[in-house]
This record gives sequence, C-alpha cells and structure tokens, in this order.
Amino acid sequence: MNNLDMRNKLAQLGNGAHALALQMLGNTDDATDAVQDAFVKVLNKPDAYNANTGPLAPWFLRVVRNHCIDMIRRRRPENAEAHELSDPGPGPEDSFEGAQRDQLLKRSLARLSVEQRQIIVLRDYMNLSYAEIADVLEIAGGTVMSRLHRARMALKEELINHG
Amino acid sequence: MVNGNRNIDDHVGELLSGYVDGELTQQQRQLVSLHCENCDECSEILTRLRELRQTIGQAHLSELGEDKWRESMNDNTVKTTRQIGWLIFIAGLLAVGGIGIVGFLFSDEIKMGMKLIIIAVYGGLAALFFSVLRQRLIERKSDKYKDVEI
Repeated sequence: MNNLDMRNKLAQLGNGAHALALQMLGNTDDATDAVQDAFVKVLNKPDAYNANTGPLAPWFLRVVRNHCIDMIRRRRPENAEAHELSDPGPGPEDSFEGAQRDQLLKRSLARLSVEQRQIIVLRDYMNLSYAEIADVLEIAGGTVMSRLHRARMALKEELINHG
Repeated sequence: MVNGNRNIDDHVGELLSGYVDGELTQQQRQLVSLHCENCDECSEILTRLRELRQTIGQAHLSELGEDKWRESMNDNTVKTTRQIGWLIFIAGLLAVGGIGIVGFLFSDEIKMGMKLIIIAVYGGLAALFFSVLRQRLIERKSDKYKDVEI
C-alpha cells in the first residue's frame, strides 16, 4: 500500500477511531490526541502494517486502543477513572431530533462499562466483523457474540430507562 | 457460549445478536428464525436490536470529518519535518561553535588576558540569553490566554 492510499484510508478511519478513543478516554481532546498520535506512529513506520495479515481497519484500531490504554496508565492516580464517561453536553448536530437522539445515545453509552462501549462502537458504529472485533480487543473470537449481546441488552435497558 | 444442541423452545439469547449481524451458520439462523416465529419475547428483542443497530449506525459519535483527519496528518508531517530540520540545524551550529571555541582556547596568537575578556563578554551574553529564554518558556507554558486569537 503506498503512502497516499494509506493516508486516505486512515482519514476514513479517523472518525471511528476517534469514537473508540472517546469511549475509552472520556474526553474529546484526549481522544483527538490519541488518534493523531496513532497517525504519526503508523505513518512513521508504514511497513509495520502487513496487508497480507488482514485489513487496515482492525490493525489501526488496535494501535489506537493500545495507545489509549497507555494514556490511561500514564494518567495520575486521582484521574485514573477519568475514562468513565461523564454525561456529554449538547453538540453541534444536524437537526434537533437527531441531536436529541444522539444525546440520549451518548448518555446511555456513558452508563455502560468501557468494555461494553468499545464493543458496541466497533460493531454498530464501525461495522467490524466479529473476527475483526476479536482482533482489535485481543479476545477470543468465540466470546464476541455473547459480550456484544450483553452490551446491547445493557444499552437497550439504559435507553428505555432514560429515554 | 452457544450450545449447538439447543431446543427450539429455549430462548435464543445471544444468537439474536449474531442473527442481526449476519454472523450465524445456516443452522443457527434457521433455529433463531423458527424460534422467533413462536416467541414474542425474542421477536421483540430482535426488533429492538435491529433498531438499536440502526440508531448507533446513524449517530454522530464523533463530530470531526474526514478532511479534518487528513489535515491533521499533514500537520503532523509538517511538524515532524520541522522538528527534524531544527535538530539538524542546532546540531550543525553546536559542531561549528564547538570547533570555534576549541580553536579560540588553544590558539597561540591570542593572549590569555584577551581570551579571558572575550570569554567573559560571550559568557555574560550567553547567561543573559538563557535567563530570558527560560523566563519566556515558563510564561508560555503557564499562559492561559496563549490560544486566544485576537
């Protein structure tokens, strides 16, 4: 893959990676930094990605996720739980109805565990296959369906309770 | 975990998610399909899971666009190139300065008194420069208005 192709693909993955980082770090600026740092890492060593081993998306998301884990570890102990998302405030969405729906979803997601938020974003927001999700989260492929189902049921409950 | 010998009357649980995602075998798909025809509870969950998936797929969980990420990649390249440029420049400058200082200190053509005077002048200038530089760096780090555009 040449440098321009890689840049285009990474740019397409930016939003999904940012959504994943945001669910892990709980702060949009930290999430942006994490994605940008991952871009630098990947673009400085493009040969680290081997197209024969699988698509770019799960590989890049694993880089972003590992970087987020490093960032959480580096945080001071008093801020160690900062990755538990606080209720997000209103954002500049397109329509009022869409904005309300997004806010409700973000608030409900914020009440789930980090693991549950990650798996939902990877599947339902980024549309990754179960095998790719297992690759990103470094878990056994056979556990993805059950984890995802539990996460979705928890989110469904949150949406019903707070909708 | 999924039990392959599940009875059709048992609730299908996590298989509903696999069904919505198209991740089941043909046998599992048939099982879920047949079960949901006769189970209102699982059929209801299946509908809710489909709605949930659609809602999340259409949501704006990240507000930044593709162009913003492309720009940030270019910014990073420019930043890295600039940093490398500065490093090379400073290394070259230090090498030239070092050679000049060694040449000056070991030169027989300049008297020791004159050497001391020149060292005092340049040493003083260097001390003043680093003092101002340090102050500026501290101010820059702690200035809460540094990002405000006028």
